[in-house]
Amino acid sequence: MTDVTLKINGETRSASVPPETTLLKMLRENFNLTGAKLGCDVGDCGACTVIVDGMSVNSCLMLAGQLDGREVLTIEGLATHDRLHPIQKCYEDCGSLQCGFCGPGMIMSSKALLDTNPNPSVAQIRDALAGNLCRCTGYTKMIEAVQESAKVLRGTPARRAAKANG
Amino acid sequence: MRAFEYFTATDSRHAVALLAEHAPARVLAGGTDLLADLKSSPSHAPKTVVDISRASDMRKIELNERGLCIGALVTHTEIMDSKLIAGLFPALIDAAHTIGAVQTRNLGTLAGNLVTAVPSVDSGPTLVALDAQVVIAGVNGNRQIALAEFFVGPRKTALQPDELLVEIVIPKENLDKPAHFLKFGLRKGQALALVNAASSLRIDAKKNTCRDVRIVLGAVAPTVVRAHSAEKFLEGRAATPENFAEAGRRAVDDVRPISDMRASAEYRKDLVAVLAKRTLEGACALARASKQKGVRK
Repeated sequence: MTDVTLKINGETRSASVPPETTLLKMLRENFNLTGAKLGCDVGDCGACTVIVDGMSVNSCLMLAGQLDGREVLTIEGLATHDRLHPIQKCYEDCGSLQCGFCGPGMIMSSKALLDTNPNPSVAQIRDALAGNLCRCTGYTKMIEAVQESAKVLRGTPARRAAKANG
Repeated sequence: MRAFEYFTATDSRHAVALLAEHAPARVLAGGTDLLADLKSSPSHAPKTVVDISRASDMRKIELNERGLCIGALVTHTEIMDSKLIAGLFPALIDAAHTIGAVQTRNLGTLAGNLVTAVPSVDSGPTLVALDAQVVIAGVNGNRQIALAEFFVGPRKTALQPDELLVEIVIPKENLDKPAHFLKFGLRKGQALALVNAASSLRIDAKKNTCRDVRIVLGAVAPTVVRAHSAEKFLEGRAATPENFAEAGRRAVDDVRPISDMRASAEYRKDLVAVLAKRTLEGACALARASKQKGVRK
């Protein structure tokens, strides 16, 4: 067994898992964090995307043992008990998701982008989301949601919010 | 994934000792190729995995008396973010950017990409075009070989089971050599190359002739290959669009592409002619731009 102690969404957690356990499996089965999804399991679809030490990664492509002493942020770490994170709110407002399976990964990739680039171009957004596959939508509204999120997070009133306020 | 024993190496020497002790073991660096392989081909399941992902050495990008040295654990994202590499070899950044997507570039390492040694390896052509060497560590010390010799066949390298690729070196005499990389895939993101190509050359300013020409192609032979007859044609000839186009046509005779689900061999040959020509033009444009910069100084 491999012993792992790591910080998940700000909380220190420990687990003892077989060495072949992936980060994704540990999140879902040991810590009951089922936001990150098991899609392709080989790093193509991005449904399992989480942020490790500030970088977006496919949690299906890391072994739990690699995470000892590191910090993981999952979709569960974004919202507070009564409020969505601005990126989640913008995805909702823009109607960016349909079935929603790709949503957690898509939003974590968006967060990783906006954490380092507060004002990304459309090309940069497309590049940042290229590792997240969605089979329902045409991606356009996700790109809009990231643009809106960028505005909200920069503190400029978002287009939709401004409209709602008349 | 099948069960395996798991060891974490603290540095490259420790890793080599673990590999010797537990051979045959598989090395985990970025994991983007290894874990996908272990899941999709259970028959490849190793008894032991040696995790080098947190080894303390092999993470540097530095310029020293040997040239530009890139540690084995440097990721594709770190290459894209390196100001040092941006100043010397923008082609390496272009190549890194075409690999996978952000998540895989954040984990995947340059050495891992080379060690996997698929014929379409996107890190290969530019490095071969710059005569890169690889440093290989074993229990009895280090050895150094040309990257071109490191690729032996599809998914086969010159590495022995207890050896580790620890560093990639672009020799100092090539630090000013213009190089250009292009990849043609079916999509912009997450696509394997139908063909990838890199060229490097020097232009004699007075005579406008080419020398030290390297034309290197991927995904069109069992390994990354140099287009020797095309290189030979261009050596000493004038740097003109006509000669670049002719070199591109000749490069087609230097490759042996296959037909598969992504493209036919004929289509890949057409791509070879175009990409070889365009990478030569790109390298030539860089050569002229750096000359002008030199004159202005």
